[in-house]
Amino acid sequence: MFIKIKIWHFALFILLLIIILRLSFLYELMNLLFVIIQSFFIKSENVFAQLSISVIDNIISLLLIITLPILIISSKKIRQLLSHKLNLANSVLMLLTACFLFAPLITRQHPDFQKDISVTKLLPPFSSVSYIEIKEDSKTIESNNSKLKSMIDDVIPKSYNENLVFIDSAVVGSSFKYYQSEVEYEIEKNKLVKTSGYPKIKSKLFLLGSDEFGRDVFTRIVYGSRISLIVGFGAVVVSFILGLTFAFAAVERGKVINLVLSRVTDLFLSFPTIFLVVLIIALFGSNIFSIIIVLGFSGWMSLFKIAKSEMLSIKNKEYYLSAKLVGLKNTKLLMREILPVIIIPVSVNLIFQIGNVILAESALSYLGLGTGTEYPSWGAMIEAGQQYITQSWWLIFIPGIVLIISLLSINEIGRNINQHFNPAAN
Amino acid sequence: MKKDFYRAITKRITSSILVLFLLVTFIFLLVRLAPGDPTQKYISPKLSPQLAEKVTKSFGLDQPVYSQYISFVKNIFTGDFGFSYNYRKPVFTVVKDYFLFTLIFSSISFIIQLLLGYSLAKYAYNKRGKFIDKLFSNLSIIAFSLPTFVVGLILVYIFSVKLNIFPTSGVNTIFRDNLSFIENIFDHALHLILPMITLSYAGTAVFYKYLKDNLDSVENSAFITSLRANGFTEKEIFKNHLLPNAIQPLISIAGIEFGVLLGGALLTEVIFSLPGMGRLTVNAIFNRDFPLVTACTFIAGFMMIISNLATDLIKIKMDKRFIKELIN
Repeated sequence: MFIKIKIWHFALFILLLIIILRLSFLYELMNLLFVIIQSFFIKSENVFAQLSISVIDNIISLLLIITLPILIISSKKIRQLLSHKLNLANSVLMLLTACFLFAPLITRQHPDFQKDISVTKLLPPFSSVSYIEIKEDSKTIESNNSKLKSMIDDVIPKSYNENLVFIDSAVVGSSFKYYQSEVEYEIEKNKLVKTSGYPKIKSKLFLLGSDEFGRDVFTRIVYGSRISLIVGFGAVVVSFILGLTFAFAAVERGKVINLVLSRVTDLFLSFPTIFLVVLIIALFGSNIFSIIIVLGFSGWMSLFKIAKSEMLSIKNKEYYLSAKLVGLKNTKLLMREILPVIIIPVSVNLIFQIGNVILAESALSYLGLGTGTEYPSWGAMIEAGQQYITQSWWLIFIPGIVLIISLLSINEIGRNINQHFNPAAN
Repeated sequence: MKKDFYRAITKRITSSILVLFLLVTFIFLLVRLAPGDPTQKYISPKLSPQLAEKVTKSFGLDQPVYSQYISFVKNIFTGDFGFSYNYRKPVFTVVKDYFLFTLIFSSISFIIQLLLGYSLAKYAYNKRGKFIDKLFSNLSIIAFSLPTFVVGLILVYIFSVKLNIFPTSGVNTIFRDNLSFIENIFDHALHLILPMITLSYAGTAVFYKYLKDNLDSVENSAFITSLRANGFTEKEIFKNHLLPNAIQPLISIAGIEFGVLLGGALLTEVIFSLPGMGRLTVNAIFNRDFPLVTACTFIAGFMMIISNLATDLIKIKMDKRFIKELIN
């Protein structure tokens, strides 16, 4: 019997795959959560100091990965929503969403982790590097709080780990000698982590290579999807709200406002968006919020036009007039009477808008006007890789191809939805 | 009819002037609202209070906002954008050279886009329904959504780094004094091939897609069938009936595209470090050179408005229906 693969099958598959691959880590995280809750009841004020963003991030993804499969299996509504046939574009979007939600589970590394640059810098994809671990000085665990701290240190990946040493090669004699780019170092055997009497040498795989600071490209790609999707959705929500309110004002509030708004729309439309964005970001500084707001502001015109034409057709319909005569407030009118009608023609535009915004964000990051160096972003990765174009192709090709694939699949989904709603158009 | 014609033209020009004023106002508001006092750069704590006040006065910041606005508008329309902080020259003289490059570069790219888009669409129209038609239509969708800077870098990697055919950046080789005129032109062309491809592929895809879709929809209309039945040749039908009807919507797209190009192709110019308006703007931003940034943004917007106006005037000339649309 042949089963048609639907989107929710694929979503479930990804979730289960992550759970199976990260089972031990999830167990540790659950322990951590338990300890946090425990110490929260014992001594509340110190717990908050320990909770950094990455801890919260890890715990949220733990909670999500437990609840999401249950939700998908139990709720019929979600399954119906995701009941379309799986295709390439859908699966790319699913993978992106998974990267967005479960970035700390997909890679067990901090995106800025760097150590021993001389060994790890500019490694090609699929290269693996050996490393040794130095024993920690055993500390006695005294109170509950230091237990929490040491647990957090153990479980949550950090951007630096002094006990981990990447090596090119090693010689085991009376003492342990290792080489980092032809420089010899010596260390006592007793200081190293051992298995059955010998120093333990593990190896780490750089799946998509490493950049000029020895950071793992795969990890940065996974975390970079967060910036793209946050900016994409955030900016689209901003422009959706702007376009809808302006359109409502233009339709409901008389001729003068309508005229002014139409002229302003002309102005925005007759202006190369990227210059506007660049000017505003140059003047007001760039961080993630300003980028979301600016990109949202630069994209509301098309939504305004669509929403306005739809509202003009609703305006004289009887159900709308009666709702107005009953005395509904403007916000309720907008939410209850207009939004449900308008959302379908607008949704196609929204999806294309997300693609545009993701493209604009990466272009801004490429120009160095993006969200800064605090978070990895695909555009910024390409910009950094440009300097090493002669020696390491993967630094521009991998983020570039990931960006291209995401944009293509978002546009493809937009076209599919468009075809679904107006089959006559194609 | 003649009266309508002039009325439409005046109406269109007035609306352009209005939009231009809105643009200037918008830039003024942005510059004023921006955090940070522009005089701070010039006033050190060691300066005597009298002198500091004098500096503030020289910026005109002690005047009320509306008179600042009036002088801002006046300066912009007389072409006086102030002094560039970085170049220590009037902004106008700085922008002039860069603008000339952008004008030539983007005009060539625009012509390439139009010609290539047109000939590809014509070719695909002649082979409609066949494999090559479907291939082109899919490729155009893909090409349209490819990010410019990634494509540019991939081209640089393939053709400059691996195959070593084209240079990576700049517009000419450094030692060009002993080159003859023809060698000089060849040198420029060699430098500009990759930027030209990067700048033109997306526009070509857009022109192709629009023209091809229009050709297809006109092709399906009844009058073409009737013409065919009357025994007109395919060539005559294409030239006299299909193309004039299909090219109409392309004109407004072309206007927008040309306006964007004249504003400077930011990303392409940055990738290949070409001396155009786009890179000038980006560099001005990094140098915090606000008079220059303001001027560049204004010129980009101005070019856009002018080319939109020009396209609409062409449309008025070509299509009587458009006049009615404008007047109402």
